[in-house]
Amino acid sequence: MSLFNVFSANIRKVAIEMIRYLPNTISLLVSYYAIFLAMFFGLKTIGDPATMEANIRFLIVGNAFWFLLILGISSMGFEISSEATRGTLEQLYMSPEGSWRILLARMIGTLLINVAIMTLMVMLSMVTAGQWLRVDLASLVLILLPTLIGMMGLGYLVAGLTLVYKQVQALLQILQFVFVGMAFVPLSRAPFLELAPVVKGIDLTRQLMVQGRPLADITVMDWTSLIASAGFYFTFGLIFFRFCERRAMARGLLAHY
Amino acid sequence: MIISVQKVSKHYRKRAGDEVVRAVDNVSFAVDRGEVLGLLGPNGAGKTTTIKMICGLIRPDSGTIIVNSIDNQRRRLQALRHISAVLEGNRNLYWRLTARENLEYFAGNRGRSRRSVRKRVDELLESFQLVDKAQEVVNNLSRGMQQKLAIAVALLAGTEIILLDEPTLGLDVETGYQVRELLREIAAEGHTIIISTHDMPVVQDLCHRTVIIDDGRVVADDRVSNLLKLFQTRAFDVKLAQPLAEDQLRRLQAKFPALTMAPEGTTLRVNLERDEEIYHLIELLRTFDARLQSLGRTTIDFEQVFRDIVNGRKQIPADGVGEARARVSI
Repeated sequence: MSLFNVFSANIRKVAIEMIRYLPNTISLLVSYYAIFLAMFFGLKTIGDPATMEANIRFLIVGNAFWFLLILGISSMGFEISSEATRGTLEQLYMSPEGSWRILLARMIGTLLINVAIMTLMVMLSMVTAGQWLRVDLASLVLILLPTLIGMMGLGYLVAGLTLVYKQVQALLQILQFVFVGMAFVPLSRAPFLELAPVVKGIDLTRQLMVQGRPLADITVMDWTSLIASAGFYFTFGLIFFRFCERRAMARGLLAHY
Repeated sequence: MIISVQKVSKHYRKRAGDEVVRAVDNVSFAVDRGEVLGLLGPNGAGKTTTIKMICGLIRPDSGTIIVNSIDNQRRRLQALRHISAVLEGNRNLYWRLTARENLEYFAGNRGRSRRSVRKRVDELLESFQLVDKAQEVVNNLSRGMQQKLAIAVALLAGTEIILLDEPTLGLDVETGYQVRELLREIAAEGHTIIISTHDMPVVQDLCHRTVIIDDGRVVADDRVSNLLKLFQTRAFDVKLAQPLAEDQLRRLQAKFPALTMAPEGTTLRVNLERDEEIYHLIELLRTFDARLQSLGRTTIDFEQVFRDIVNGRKQIPADGVGEARARVSI
């Protein structure tokens, strides 16, 4: 029950702050839509007319995942560094429930809200482009769940680095370009990316929504790869975060910026 | 005892080069249940590091800290069930959340539901005179209100031990007084409190005992009343009818190094090692034909005590006056 209260408090906080920082939220949505429009009209201008429809649908899914990655993962780094600056980070560490649980609750809250916002933005993109994705909610949830778990592993990784090094803005900016690769490059073109976090989930989502592949067609190997990747990156991220946390405490870095 | 700090040391390596900074060096002290302990020392003495080590936010290089029979390094989260803290005052709050939302959020982080704390939140807002500001975002509150809210957050945790790092820092006189009154009420409720502060009236008013840290080491550990008594009983003001000649003053200072002359030239202040030395002083003044107008013990405040200890003008004897012993680890 106490864990549930930690989750509900943090999800509520994320929602409240998103509303209070409304200009920030709106500017994010505007930049999402602006980037989509730029890529959409670019495609229309120089793209191959034969594959235009598929490419646009590909773009809609890729763009949504790219933003989800930026909002879900980079935001952990920004959150930790701004909490350290504000002086609230140490108060989080005073919780007997443990900082990793609080952070997990934050990430879940952030991702849930962002998934909801991205759903609206995907719909707006579909209306704009006049292209419709196949939406099978149950199948989507089954694929998205492990994908988001893998994403949270990355969130822990970034949070851990931020705890020790604090000023990781440059790294977070570079990550945005890495995320472009993860969100847009199909596994058929770069099979080695299957080992990268989240990419398998994005690829399967694309197959469901763009190519209309039914869930039943997804092989055991695909499921194994998806779940193993999520499990590995979540565990690795969490262990790395705990390691960084101990290092930060040994060096007295929690309050430093 | 509820907190035991045993031979705790913490050193930091500076970013550039191999230079090591000694933040806390072999510090030991204990706090009894229900006791209010003042942790004093100049800036950079190691007070905040010590408090954060008790909170488990900084890991000591050596030594142990036991909180309610729990080793706070081995079982940090269990130890935290007994501790709450105000570490950076108003900076411990979320400025875009309202006063009530802050209270509820931090309670949630301790695993408590909004419903279960609602009554207590109302009580705290009431007793901290923040009812009118409950729905106001913290950014819009005055510094004093923010400070009170930060203390309320710590109280809402419902822990037996409360650690306060500079609770009156940066507050105006009136707000400082209000916070002091609040702290007095909290202390009266039987909490065990450690206050790190430069605010001597807070120490004198609230603390049962004080640990003075200088350069990372404990230089005094005794009851506040004992330290005051110790200094007060041996400090005298001697009022003379006429100023002394310069050579007479020099002879006096040679005999009593701690002797000072007030600017008006006729009042001597002297801190004596032993009470009977006052007779030697009077005898010496008699040989100068100096006429005494009055002789009395000085009223000394804790700030003077603190400054004398930290500046090394006073060494605390191993066996102080009063019922408690002064513990010295220089």
